[in-house]
Amino acid sequence: MIIGSLSARRWRTIAVASGLALSLLLGLSAGHQWYSLPSIFRALGGSDTLDAALLLEWRAPRVLTAAFVGSLLGACGAVFQGVFRNPLAEPYLLGTAGGGALGAALALLVPLGLPGFLSLLGFSFLGAWGATLIVLLIARTAGRTDPVALLLAGVTVAAMLQALRSGLMLALSDDNISLQTILSWTLGGIQTPSWGGLLMLALLAAGLNFSLHRFSSGLDRLGLGDDYSATLGIDPANFIRRVVLVAAMAVAVAVAWGGLVAFVGLMAPHVARWAVGPLHARVIPASAVVGAMVTVLCDAIARAALPPGEIPLGLITAIVGGPFFLVILMRHYR
Amino acid sequence: MSTEVLLEGGLEVERSGRSVLSLKGPDPLRLQDGGMIGVIGPNGAGKSTLLRVLAGLVSPSKGRIRLNGRALHSLSPTARAEMIGYLPQTLIPAWDYTGREMIDLQASRNPANRKSAATIASEMNVHALLNQRWSRMSGGERARIALAGVLAAESTILLADEPAAALDVQHRHYVLKELARHADSKAVVVVMHDLDLALAYCSRILLLANGALIADGTPMSLLSVDALDQVFGVRFQMADIDVRLGPALAVGATAGN
Repeated sequence: MIIGSLSARRWRTIAVASGLALSLLLGLSAGHQWYSLPSIFRALGGSDTLDAALLLEWRAPRVLTAAFVGSLLGACGAVFQGVFRNPLAEPYLLGTAGGGALGAALALLVPLGLPGFLSLLGFSFLGAWGATLIVLLIARTAGRTDPVALLLAGVTVAAMLQALRSGLMLALSDDNISLQTILSWTLGGIQTPSWGGLLMLALLAAGLNFSLHRFSSGLDRLGLGDDYSATLGIDPANFIRRVVLVAAMAVAVAVAWGGLVAFVGLMAPHVARWAVGPLHARVIPASAVVGAMVTVLCDAIARAALPPGEIPLGLITAIVGGPFFLVILMRHYR
Repeated sequence: MSTEVLLEGGLEVERSGRSVLSLKGPDPLRLQDGGMIGVIGPNGAGKSTLLRVLAGLVSPSKGRIRLNGRALHSLSPTARAEMIGYLPQTLIPAWDYTGREMIDLQASRNPANRKSAATIASEMNVHALLNQRWSRMSGGERARIALAGVLAAESTILLADEPAAALDVQHRHYVLKELARHADSKAVVVVMHDLDLALAYCSRILLLANGALIADGTPMSLLSVDALDQVFGVRFQMADIDVRLGPALAVGATAGN
C-alpha cells in the first residue's frame, strides 16, 4: 500500500512533466493556421520555408512566453496559498495581478519620460506589491480562521483597482495608445516578443522561480501556524514580508508579458499537490510546470478557437478555472 | 549539562494594556531540569502566557528571562528554536502533511542536532504513522506524532501547553510519561488542566491565579495548604494515595464557597 502510493506519486510526476511537453507541441501546432507535427519538427530542424520562419519567429516565442508567464503564475499561486495558508488564494483573486495591471496601465498611459518597458515593469511591480500589502493587512486584522474572508477582501481590492484602471484608461487613452490595445491586454493576452525580449523574460522567470523556491522550507513551517513556526526558528511577519515582495515581482513580470490571467495560480498548486504531496520544495516547481502547461493550452485555444480572430486568454482561463474554483470552494464547506 | 531558566522578579507581561502575568517580589523564579514542572491554575490565570513567554513568543514589558545565563530576547529566532522545544495545545497544519513530514518539520528547528524521523518513530513506536496523512490520523495518533516531532530535535527546555487536554485517558498518560521521562536532562514545563495528572507526574507545581504566582512547591506541599481550594473555588479532598502513581489523587472536588 505504502510502496504503491509512492510509485503512484512518481507516475503522477511523470504525467505532469510529459503533459508539459505535449502542451508545448500542441501550442506550436494550434492557431489560426495549424501546423502538422512533421512540419513542426522540420521547422525546429532548420527548414527555411516561409511556414517554418513564421513558426519560429511568431509562434514559438509566443508559446514559450505563455509557458514562462504560466510558470510564474503557478509558482506564485503556490506561494500565496502557502503564505495565507489558504487553498483559495492566488495572485488574481487577491488583487495582486490587478494592482500590477493598474501600475502597468499607468506606465503606458501617463507620459513619464522613462524608458518604456522598464517603467512598465517597475510600475507593475509597485502596483502588485501595494495591492498585496493591503490584502495582507486586512488578512492580519481579520484573522486567518476563515479563508473566504481573505478572498472577499482580495476581490474587493481587485474591483477597486479595476475601477481605477478603467477610469484611467477612459480618461487618458488617445490616438497613440488605443483603448483597444490596453483593453485586450488587461483581459489577458500573451505578448509575442522578439527573441531578445523572450530571453529577458526567460532570465527573469528562471530567477524569480528560483527565488520563490528558496522560501520552500519556511512556507512548510509556516503551514503549522504563525506561533508554532516562530518556535521553529522563523520570524513569521518578516518572512511573509520577504515572500510577498518576491511574489509581487513575479506577478509583475507575468502581468507585463501576459496581462491579467485568472485562476491559473489557483489551479496549478492543487494539481501539483495532488501530484507531489504538500511539501513546498516540490509543490512550487510542480505548480510552475502545471501553470506553464495550463497557460500554454489555454493560449492555444485562444489562438485557434475563432479564426481569424483571437479570444483573450484571460477569458479562457476564467471559463476553465471558474468551475475549478467552485469545486474547491464546495469541498471546503462540505 | 544542567539547565536553568531564570525569570527575574518583577516580571510583567501585558496584553492590550492589561497585565496578564506579574511575578511579584525581588526573588527570581528558577526553573530547572530534574523533574517535570507543572503549571496549574483556573482559566485566565496566565498559565499559557507564562509558557508563551518562556517560548519567546511574547516579550515581557518589564523584566527579563535568562536561559542558561543568556537573555532570551537577545537570541535570534534560530538560536531560540535550537534551545526550546514547544508543543502547542493543538496543532492544525494548513496542509495535509504525512507523519514523517510533520516530524521533519518540527525537528527542523534544530537541524544539526536531531534524530531522523525513522529513529524517533521506532523509539516512540509510531512507525506505522510515518506515511499516514494527518487528515487520516485520530486525535491520539496526531498527539503521538506531534510529541515525536518535538522530541526528535535536541533542546534545552521543553514546553507543552495542555498537551493532553483533548486526549483519552490512555494517550494522556502516554504523553505525560514521555515528557516526564525527558525531565532528567532538560527543563520540562507543562501547563495542565487535570490536577490529578499534574500531581501524579510533576515533581514541582506552580499554581497561578489572576496572573500571579500563588504557590510553588512539590505536589505534597501544595495539597497541605488551602491555596488550591481558594484558587479554584472548590474544596478538594484527598481520596487515596496510590504509591505506584505518585503522591496523590486529588479527587472528589465538592462545590465550595
